[in-house]
This record gives sequence, structure tokens and C-alpha cells, in this order.
Amino acid sequence: MDGIARGLRRLFPIAVFVVPFGIAFGAAAIEAGLTLVQAVAMSVLVFSGAAQFAALDFWPGPIAFGSLALVVLALNARHIIMGAALSPWINKLSIGRRIVVLTLLSDPNFADSQPAFKAGERDIGILLGGGLILWVNWIIGTAVGAAAGSLIGDPARFGVDVVMACFFAAVVAGQCRNRVMILPALVSAAIAVMSLPWMPAGWNVILAALAGGLVAMVAHDR
Amino acid sequence: MSSWRRLPVASSQWSPMIDDLTVWTAIALIAGVTLASRLAGSFLMSHVDAPARVERFLDGLSVAVIAALVASILAQNGLREAAAVALAVLVMLRSANATWAMVAGMAVAALWTHLLSM
Repeated sequence: MDGIARGLRRLFPIAVFVVPFGIAFGAAAIEAGLTLVQAVAMSVLVFSGAAQFAALDFWPGPIAFGSLALVVLALNARHIIMGAALSPWINKLSIGRRIVVLTLLSDPNFADSQPAFKAGERDIGILLGGGLILWVNWIIGTAVGAAAGSLIGDPARFGVDVVMACFFAAVVAGQCRNRVMILPALVSAAIAVMSLPWMPAGWNVILAALAGGLVAMVAHDR
Repeated sequence: MSSWRRLPVASSQWSPMIDDLTVWTAIALIAGVTLASRLAGSFLMSHVDAPARVERFLDGLSVAVIAALVASILAQNGLREAAAVALAVLVMLRSANATWAMVAGMAVAALWTHLLSM
């Protein structure tokens, strides 16, 4: 319980900025033809900005379920990598608890928790607490956006749109204080950019991450 | 039924091809695939007895996946986002505080938008 509360607190400054993203999604969902209930239900059940925005491209139907599933898988395949990277700590939990914690796994709480576990944190609750605050704010934002999206201005005006990129970049910079991580990060970034034009968005991140992992493994061996 | 209630009678956006059942099936599909992606990594690794090399691979993976996300975002945006991220990295390296890094990056982006719209 203590860990969950700490996770909530650690991720609060980032979660605040999830609300405007939720608003943008809620407004876009209504525009695409979803009802308020459907938009909010999607945020409750899916909790993945990239997948949800991409899914809206399939509205109004007829919905091509096969391509929809593939697009969502491509955009979320990085979760598989994050789950694997967390496995040394998370697989010590019982299966039931593992499922609960992983259900709220997303980029920001992974980026926050993985380095913490690496540094000796033993309470998996920080991952869950971080996920909870992100999830709640995503839902609140969606509801506000679906109800009143058109009344709210462009978030780019306040610089809110760059928050996630800045947070992720800060996490990478923090981890690169450990020098052996600099090369894997650089290789991964380069491959992600170079493969972007000829790979569906999402898969390029997977390819890049795997290459970065290999570099980390081989560089240490030499 | 709710889509009937919500949409104005004369709406040109209404498509006869998409009914409530289809919408809820699609939402369930997206939710299912996303949940599976969240659970898969941990369950795949539970069958692997991780030696030290695999752990180093996973360490590299966790830095690399975030670095790839940032690089993809930057490649799909402009100078404004690059400037914001650059300052965020500098602030992080000096202060080791991710919140300050974020605020600094946002300030750059907001200022950029403000100056261009003047």
C-alpha cells in the first residue's frame, strides 16, 4: 500500500499533463462519431493514447477488424518489451497480482519505475500507483473532452504537447549517467529514425529497442 | 441505441454501417489486444531462466525503448519539439530532476508557439 501511495505521488506531476491529452482524445472521439459513453469506456478499458487515437481512423465504419487489431498491436508491441524488462522484479509476484499491476503498465510509469527497481526499490506498488493516477487522469480528461472538447483551445499553445517527449528524454538522460547505456540509447534512437519511413509506426520502435538491447549485451561482453 | 439519441436527425456524419454492437466489439478488440501486449512480456520471460547476459539485454532494452520513442516523436515533428527536448535533457543532466526538465521543455514550446503567433 505504501508503494502505491508513493507511485501516485511520483507520477502526479506527469499525470496532471495527461488530462489535456485525454481532452484531445475525448474531443476527437466525439468528432469521429463515438458517443460520450463509448469514448469514456474506451479510455477506461484500453488506457493507451496511441492505440485509441489510431483506432479513431477506423470510424465511421464499416470497421476492418483485422487491420484494427494489427494497428493496435503494432502501436502497443513496446508493452511486450517493457513487460519483459520488468520481469526480474514483477515475476516474483503471484500471477493474480502480476496481472493487476501490468494492466496499468504504460510508458510514463515504466520509465519511472524500471530505473527505481534497478536502483534497489523493492515495492512493485510504485508501478501500480503510477499507473492508477495516469489512468484516472486519462479518464477524467476524456470525459471533459467528450463533453466540452470544442470549447477548449489548442493545447500546443501552452506547450503541453511536448510534455511526454521531454519526460521520456529526461528519463533517458538520467539513465545515461550510467555510461554503458549511452551507446544502446544512441543506436536505438538512430535506428528508430532511419526505419521510420519504411516500417509501420510502432514496429520501428520495437526494432530499435531490440538493437539497443543487443548493443548493451555485446558491448559488455567485449 | 445511444448513437440514435446523440446524433441530430439531420447529421450527415451518421453512417448506417456502424451500429452499437460493432462499436462495442471494436472497443473490446482494442482493449483485448492492448491488455495482451501488457501481459505478454512478463509471461514470456517466466519461461526463461535469465542469466546475466539476458539481464544486460533487458537493461539495454529498457533504455533503448524509451530512446526510440523520443527519436520517433522528434522525427515526426519540427524544430520546436527538438528545442524543447534538448533543453529538457540539459536540465536533467544538471539537476537530475525530471519534473524540472519537463517544465523547462514545456516553457520552450509555449514560448516558441507564442513568438510565432505574434
